[in-house]
Amino acid sequence: MSSPLPASVGESLAAAALAGTLLLGAGWLSYRIRSNASPGSRDPPGTRADGGTRTSRVSRLRAGLPYDPVRWLTTVNHRDIGTLYLLFAVVAALWGGTDALMIRTELLTPAADVWDERTYNALFTTHGLTMLFFFVTPAFTGVANYFLPLFVGADEMAFPRVNALAFWLLPPSLLLVRAGLVTEVFGKALAAVGPRVDVLYLLEPPTTGWTLYTPLSATLANPQIDLLLLGLHLSGIATVLGAVNILVTVLVDRAPDVTWANLDILTWTLLTTAGIILFAFPLLGSALVMLLLDRNFGTTFFAVEGGGPILWQHLFWFFGHPEVYILVLPAFGLVSLILPKFAGRKLFGFKFVVYSTLAIGVLSFGVWAHHMFATGIDPRLQASFMAVSLAIAVPSAVKTFNWMTTLWRGRIRLAAPMILSIGGVGLFIVGGVTGIFLASIPVDRVLHDTHYVVGHFHFIVMGVIAMMAFAASYYWFPLLTRRMYDRRMARVQAYTLIVGVFVTFFPLLLLGMDGHPRRWASYTQGMDTNPGWMLLHWIATGGAAIIGASVTLWLFNLVQSMRVGAPVTTGDPWNLKETGQFTREWAWFEERLEERRRRTTSGVEDD
Amino acid sequence: MNKPTSAVLGGAAGVAVLSVALLLIEVETRSRIGLFDVVARFVGVPGNQALGFLLFVAAGTFAWPLLFVALEAYLPLGPDPAIRGVGFAIPLWVAFVVLGRGDLSGAILVVYGVLTLFAHVAYGFTLGAVYGRLSGETDARRPMPAYPEEDRDVETGAGSEDR
Repeated sequence: MSSPLPASVGESLAAAALAGTLLLGAGWLSYRIRSNASPGSRDPPGTRADGGTRTSRVSRLRAGLPYDPVRWLTTVNHRDIGTLYLLFAVVAALWGGTDALMIRTELLTPAADVWDERTYNALFTTHGLTMLFFFVTPAFTGVANYFLPLFVGADEMAFPRVNALAFWLLPPSLLLVRAGLVTEVFGKALAAVGPRVDVLYLLEPPTTGWTLYTPLSATLANPQIDLLLLGLHLSGIATVLGAVNILVTVLVDRAPDVTWANLDILTWTLLTTAGIILFAFPLLGSALVMLLLDRNFGTTFFAVEGGGPILWQHLFWFFGHPEVYILVLPAFGLVSLILPKFAGRKLFGFKFVVYSTLAIGVLSFGVWAHHMFATGIDPRLQASFMAVSLAIAVPSAVKTFNWMTTLWRGRIRLAAPMILSIGGVGLFIVGGVTGIFLASIPVDRVLHDTHYVVGHFHFIVMGVIAMMAFAASYYWFPLLTRRMYDRRMARVQAYTLIVGVFVTFFPLLLLGMDGHPRRWASYTQGMDTNPGWMLLHWIATGGAAIIGASVTLWLFNLVQSMRVGAPVTTGDPWNLKETGQFTREWAWFEERLEERRRRTTSGVEDD
Repeated sequence: MNKPTSAVLGGAAGVAVLSVALLLIEVETRSRIGLFDVVARFVGVPGNQALGFLLFVAAGTFAWPLLFVALEAYLPLGPDPAIRGVGFAIPLWVAFVVLGRGDLSGAILVVYGVLTLFAHVAYGFTLGAVYGRLSGETDARRPMPAYPEEDRDVETGAGSEDR
C-alpha cells in the first residue's frame, strides 16, 4: 500500500533540518521561559519588581504585555483552561466556517468552475473534521472545564495537570490534521523573501471525506492523510483525558451538599457525554492506527483480502454515531439549563430529562449500522438497527416535550440566550423528524448520500449544537468578562442566526428529495432534468451569507463588549433570584464581585 | 504615548493581522484568487509581488494610520477608535477590491469580496484598538464608567487579578 517516496532526498533533508531548527528554537524558548518563570531568577526573595533590583529584559517585556503569555502557557487553573478551550474552539469554528463558505460558493454554479473538484473534496473533508473534532468538542469541554467544578462545588478539576495536557494536545492535533495549509503558508512566506522550498508544498488537503472510508483513504498517496490520522488520534487522546477528568471530578470531588439527588442538569449531561467518550473514542483510535498500518506497513485490516472495507465502516460508525451524541448531549444540557431561567419556571420533568439523557447514552451505541443501510450487510441486521434508531427518537422527544412544557404558562423573557434556546428547540425538531425518516430502511435507500442527509444533520449541528454554544456564550458572558454584551445586537444576531440556518439547510432537504447527490462539486448532469437545483443552491448560499453575517455580529459584539462593555456590578444579571433559580456558578460570581469590592474600597492591593 | 506613534504602532499590528489573514485566505483558496497579485495591482505595480507587498505594508503601517489620526475626529461611528478604524478600513477595502480585481470574475468574486472584507475590517479594528489603548483614547472615550480598580490596572499594565 505504501507509496514511493515522493520527494527527493535533498528535499527530505531540508525538511528534516527545518523541523530540527524549529524544535531547537522551541526548546530554547521553553528553557528561557522556565528559567524566567522559576522563583528566584525573576524575583529574588525579599525584593519586589519596583524595588530597583534586577529585572531581565524579558520580564520587563512580559510586564508590558496586556496578557502574560507565560501564565497562559503554564496554567493548570480549570477556568483558565476552560477559557483556552473556548478560544481554540472559536478559531477552529471560523476556520471551518471559511471552508463552508467556500463549499457554498462552489455550488453557486452547476459546473466545478470556482474551485476544482479536488479542492471541493478537500473542503467538505476539512469542514467536517474541523467542526466536529476541533470546534464543538472543545467548545463544550471548555464549558465543562469552566463551570463543572463550580456546579459541583469542587475547587478544581480532579487532575489539573492532566487537564492542561489535554488542552495542549489539541493545537498540535489541529495543526496535524490541517498541516498542508500550515506548511504551505510557511512555504509562501519563505518564497516571498527567499527560495522556494518544494517540500513545503508536498502536503495536499485530504480528500477522503470526514468518514475516511476505505479503500479510498487506504490508497490515496497524499502523505497528508497519514498526518491527518495521527492528528485525529492525538485529538482522541486529548478528548479521552478530558472525559476522564470530568468523570472523576463529578464522581469524587463533589461538595458535601451536592448529591446525586440535587446534581444539576448540565452536569448530568456532561457526565453522560464523558461516559460515551470513554467508550467511543478509544475505538476510533484503534481504527485509525489500523488504517495507518494499512497505508504504510502493508497490513490488510481493511483490504478486500483482509477484513474488507465494511469493517472500517463498522468500526468508524461504532465511534461515529456515539460521537453524534457526544456533540449533541451537552447542547441538550444547555437548553435544559438556560431555557427554564428565562421561562421563570423550573425544568419540567427534571428526572425524566435525566433518564432520557442516560437512555440516549446507552442507546447511542446500538444504532451505528443505520449509516450503512446502503451497503450489503444482512437485511435482518439492518432491521434491528432500524428499530433501535427509531427507538432513540423517544428519549429525544421526551426532552423536547419537557422543554415545551417548561415554557407553558411561563413568564418568558426573550433575551438572546432564550431566543437561541427556543430557536434551537424548533430547529432541532426539524432535524430530528427528518432523521426519523432516514432511520427507515426504504427511505434511507433512496435518500442516502443525497443533500437530504446533509440538510438533516445540519439542522441538528447548526440548529441546536452551535445555537446553544452561542446561547451559552451570551448567558455566561457577564460571568466570564464582568461586562455585559450589547443586548440589542445580540437579539438581532439570535434572530438572524435562526433565519439563516433555516434558509441554508431547508433547500438542502428539497435538493436531496430531488436526488441531488452530496459531495459533488458539479451538478451539471442533473440540471437537464432538475433546472431548479441552481436556484435552491442560490437560496442555500444566501442563507449561509446570513449565518456568516450573524456570526460576524456575534464575534464583533463579544470582542467589543469585552473591551468597552458596561461593567456588571451585580452577581445576578439575569434576575434568577426572583424565581429561585440562582445557581452555584452565579453565587460564586457574586462572591467574587463582593470580594473585589471589599478589596478596592479598603484600598488593599490585589496580589 | 503620542497619537502619531500610537497610530503607527497600531498600523503595524493591523498590517500584521491583515497580511496573515490574506496569506491564510490565499492558501485556503489554493491560490485561485492570487491575492498577492491583487496586492501588487492594488498598489500600482502589477506583476511585481515583492515590491507590491513592500509598498502595501508601508502604506498600512505609515500612510493610512497617520491619515487615520488626522481624520479621526471627522470619522463616523465614534467615539471608540476601534469602530472608527473599521469605518476607516471600509473605503480601503472598496479600493482594494476594485483596483485589485484584475480579471477575476464569476462566483469567485463573492468569496474574494467577503474574505477580503473580513481581513480589512480586522485591520481597521486592530489599528483603532491598539491606537486607542496606547494613546489612552479608548479610556478617555469609554462610553461606560469602568470599575474603579481598572484605572489602576491600566497604569500598572496588569490586566488580570489572578496572577
